[in-house]
Amino acid sequence: MTEQSTNWEPKIIAFLCNWCSYAGADLAGVSRFQYPSNIRIVRVPCSGRVSENMILSALKSGADGILVSGCHPGDCHYISGNYFARRRFALLSNLLDFIGVEPGRVNFSWVSASEGEQFAEVVQGVTEKVKALGSASRLVKKIDALETELQVA
Amino acid sequence: MPTINEIVSEEIRAQARKLLEEGTVAAVIGYAAGTLPMTVRPLVVRSPEDCSKLIWNTFCVLNLANYLPATLKSVEPPRGPRDPKPEGPLPKVAICATGCWSRNIVVQTQEHQVDRDRVVVMGVGSRGMVSRRKVEAIFSGKEILKVEEGDHELIVQGADFSETINRWSVVRDNCQTCTHPDPVLVDVRIGEPVSERKPPNPFIQVEKIEQKTVDARWAWFTEEFSTCIRCYACRNACPLCYCPTCFVDDAKPQWVGKSLDAVDTGLFHVLRAYHCAGRCTDCGTCETVCPMGINMRMLTKKLNKDVLNLYGIEAGMQPDAPLPLTTYAMDDPQKFMANEVAPVPSMAPATLGHRGPVPGSVKEGK
Amino acid sequence: MKVLKVTPAELDAMMQQWSKAHRVYAPALVKQPAASPNCAPGWRRVDGSGALTLSTGPTPASVKTFFFPQPETLLTYTLENNHPDKGLMREPEKSKEMQVVVGVRPCDARSVLLNNLPYQEDPFFQANRRRTALVGFTCDQSLSTCFCTQMGGSPLGSEGLDLAFSRTQDGFIVEVGSAKGEALVTGLDLAPADESEITALAARRQKEVKASSTELDTLKGRELGKLYDAPLWQPLGESCINCGACTFICPTCYCFDIQDEVVRGQGRRIRYWDSCMFPLYSLHTSGHNPRGQKVQRTRNRFLHKLKYFPDRFGPFSCVGCGRCVQDCPVNIDIREVMNDLLAVE
Repeated sequence: MTEQSTNWEPKIIAFLCNWCSYAGADLAGVSRFQYPSNIRIVRVPCSGRVSENMILSALKSGADGILVSGCHPGDCHYISGNYFARRRFALLSNLLDFIGVEPGRVNFSWVSASEGEQFAEVVQGVTEKVKALGSASRLVKKIDALETELQVA
Repeated sequence: MPTINEIVSEEIRAQARKLLEEGTVAAVIGYAAGTLPMTVRPLVVRSPEDCSKLIWNTFCVLNLANYLPATLKSVEPPRGPRDPKPEGPLPKVAICATGCWSRNIVVQTQEHQVDRDRVVVMGVGSRGMVSRRKVEAIFSGKEILKVEEGDHELIVQGADFSETINRWSVVRDNCQTCTHPDPVLVDVRIGEPVSERKPPNPFIQVEKIEQKTVDARWAWFTEEFSTCIRCYACRNACPLCYCPTCFVDDAKPQWVGKSLDAVDTGLFHVLRAYHCAGRCTDCGTCETVCPMGINMRMLTKKLNKDVLNLYGIEAGMQPDAPLPLTTYAMDDPQKFMANEVAPVPSMAPATLGHRGPVPGSVKEGK
Repeated sequence: MKVLKVTPAELDAMMQQWSKAHRVYAPALVKQPAASPNCAPGWRRVDGSGALTLSTGPTPASVKTFFFPQPETLLTYTLENNHPDKGLMREPEKSKEMQVVVGVRPCDARSVLLNNLPYQEDPFFQANRRRTALVGFTCDQSLSTCFCTQMGGSPLGSEGLDLAFSRTQDGFIVEVGSAKGEALVTGLDLAPADESEITALAARRQKEVKASSTELDTLKGRELGKLYDAPLWQPLGESCINCGACTFICPTCYCFDIQDEVVRGQGRRIRYWDSCMFPLYSLHTSGHNPRGQKVQRTRNRFLHKLKYFPDRFGPFSCVGCGRCVQDCPVNIDIREVMNDLLAVE
């Protein structure tokens, strides 16, 4: 893996809910708000759909940062999906912090469909945070490194 | 004079025999003596004659609630997957339960794994169970051949030694910080109730880790779980883990790899603990059964702490309330959100009914 | 066979000597520090400094990890489009460096010979065998959970060991059991053992053989159907939680599964430990599981060790190390199972 060279750019996986944050990203685009191109968007029906498995699996596969974004509380297309998600994310976020995953790797936000500018700000903020942290190594699976010694014992 | 646990054992045998003879229950879940010192074997008794095998001692470390759903199923009349449920009440099962195990039965009831009406809880107040590992650590290198149990001390004997140790000093960590030792469900009371305990700080072990720096926490995590052999004893001994297919066995997508890769092992433990969030009663079984002595309980205990602090819920303490992750409050804390400072739109109930994209959204008309 | 005499000081010197040329491993009696994450749980890499300490009874982890690495890479490949290796599956380059495992007990040494029976033609197992030398120490003391004598082994056995150390008054006598063992002692200035010490050891061994029980061997002639339908399995299966602890700590459990792992375009096919205690082990693609119930899986493990394996290969697939007896979370005791099986009418 290429370690931090000067032109290193993080890869950030963004799970965006279809009804608010994804539309917010769309609005940011049509409104020509600039935001870093580091995010790779995965469109999900609702932030409540995003499971811990998906987040950790993205980290494992080498994402440098994660952003999960859904509708503001009260605005969920499915009425309460984001409320459930909020409880789960609060616990997950604390648990990841507890095991020593750097704060800022996994991020959560609320962005509505009308908040194109806010979406750009959130992405800007998350990208800066992840850039400051450098490329992810914790909970990232590397199979090339395994070959050498684990083989032996 | 008989010890407290001898009295409890006698009562368990008597009550189990009575329940089976009367026909109140079809089976009793309890413990039989093990073949080594400080071990016991979970046992399902189906006839009054076998009740003499039941025992109770300070080494009953496995959560018996784990056996409840399967035992309930085993006493039902056999039927095919499409056959209708037989008419009339189904046979009942009695189970010995301490504070944490009874709370697990509550959780099982809340999650519809167990029909409360079919369970007779033989409630035993827990005086704290002894960690075999802690006792062995005291006598490291010497084989323990016999352990006699008093109310407050253990007499540990080997080939060339016999020593008396204080019982509480070798009680498991989770029992030492336990606040609810007495069962929350009692149908048949066994022995004397024990009072609520007030440990100075139930989360002291978790807080020790929280106070470390993020790098030190990561170092702790990687070291602690580096010896895992992926036997899944922690998962299988846990009454919360009843999924027909565990996430580690999912093949498409495969969330967690299967070898001893440190990342895969770490992810397994993080996800296993996370799946117990809001449901774990800190019975300590996962930690006790681990053949490698990994303290995976720290992860679930951390989640217990957060669930209590954020949502004010302790698993299994409120039978009528929903589980913390199956419900929500409008004003749940959300400090962790990246844009928490952004104005939160009105939470008036009217907006709850709002559906579809916000007017003016670029999605419209597509 | 060559028999040498070694003092404790000479043993330390030998360890130092070996660690210069080979990878040397010894049992880790305390939990492994994170500094050595690349060694299998229960073992530590040693550099020859510091004395070797052994616990009574079997080593904390069995030696099978050196023969069945967890995982073993079978093939590597790439999914990158522009890679010159695209479309190729390569056998990974494996280290041929000799590994010396010090502190092995006779039970574990025997387990390698037993595992060799089904793995005679397995190139990976055989390659690992070729490059692994086992330096063992016979047992002066046994634990109450040890039952190697019942399983056809001996606490003083040297079977399967390349070098077998047995304690004497002032040090050890060392039996050189193979060419690999021979290679480990060449160049070292060691005196041959006294004749009297060799005869003393032989006499002690003879006593062990007399004390060992062969009652269990009658199981081999028993009708399988009766053992299979015996009532003992039901309560056993009910208590069992179907974790894989017994199979993973067992030196003679050798089942594996194969899987492809791809991370960021780089793939590998690995062989990793599997356990007959897991439902996935016997699950068919159709969805049918011939051993879908707990009791069936528990029965399979014991009958495999005590009936299927001996029927096919001769000896029992158990060396009597007692690890499963000690570590089973629900105290399922194979010694009890054997007695119950013998009692089956």
